[in-house]
Amino acid sequence: MSHAAEDDAFGAGLPLDTAIARPRPDVVLLEVDGEVDTLTAPRLAARLDEALDTADADGSTVVADLSGVTFLASSGLAALINAARRATGSGRRLHVVAATRAVSRPMQVTGVDALFDTHTDVDSALAGLQRPTPPDVASPARGVGR
Amino acid sequence: MSDAESLDGMSTVEVRTSATAALIPTIRAVASDLAARADFDLDAISDLRMAVDEACATLVDAADPTSQLLCRFLVRPERIRVHAQVESAKPDTVLSTDTFGWRVLQTLADEVEVLHEPASAGRPATVGIRLDKTAGDVPR
Repeated sequence: MSHAAEDDAFGAGLPLDTAIARPRPDVVLLEVDGEVDTLTAPRLAARLDEALDTADADGSTVVADLSGVTFLASSGLAALINAARRATGSGRRLHVVAATRAVSRPMQVTGVDALFDTHTDVDSALAGLQRPTPPDVASPARGVGR
Repeated sequence: MSDAESLDGMSTVEVRTSATAALIPTIRAVASDLAARADFDLDAISDLRMAVDEACATLVDAADPTSQLLCRFLVRPERIRVHAQVESAKPDTVLSTDTFGWRVLQTLADEVEVLHEPASAGRPATVGIRLDKTAGDVPR
């Protein structure tokens, strides 16, 4: 809905920017920036679904990076709850990066943070997601031939 | 300090907008500004901002399309009372309190109450939410 209502200065509300990246083959990283409220939560929900579709297709794990989120309403929490349930239904966990009070406080005060794994930054989220297979010392060139 | 400002140590701020979700960011910005000035701790500022957003979003959903959203803040040194109100879409509009959003609102605010006002003397029916929030664990 980026510029759907140009005749109304506030018609589109505040923007919510999202991007999906693959920092590793086993991770789908959804980056979210902006304010998540009743107007923008449907966009967050849609992007979470998109990321989970990818995860379901190739067995990867979704990390939602909310470091750039400056407001999180109950509608946004509901989107995260639904995504967490969907991930759990597929035998996985949703991972959420909550770096700021604007995100961590609403999740804590509602107890929603128990539904997924929270991290303070993307690096520690990725580090915690190293596949359980031990490093294969026999093939040091692992991954190079891709 | 003027007489008005010193009245019971209380100040009043009113924000009136069209009852549209697109203007709620403005109202919640006012809420967090007032909480910060009233020496609320950071968690309490975050809670009030979210509670006001929740109350306004609930009311906008129940509002007549032509209604305004009136949000009145009564600011005391360590406490803020918020009264938000819209004209109801229908005379018998009743706010649903059986929602996730309402439970969140109850968790965030110290007190929260729905206020239904029937139409009278040519004035349309209104529905409102009153909530109270204290400053948090600030040193006394």
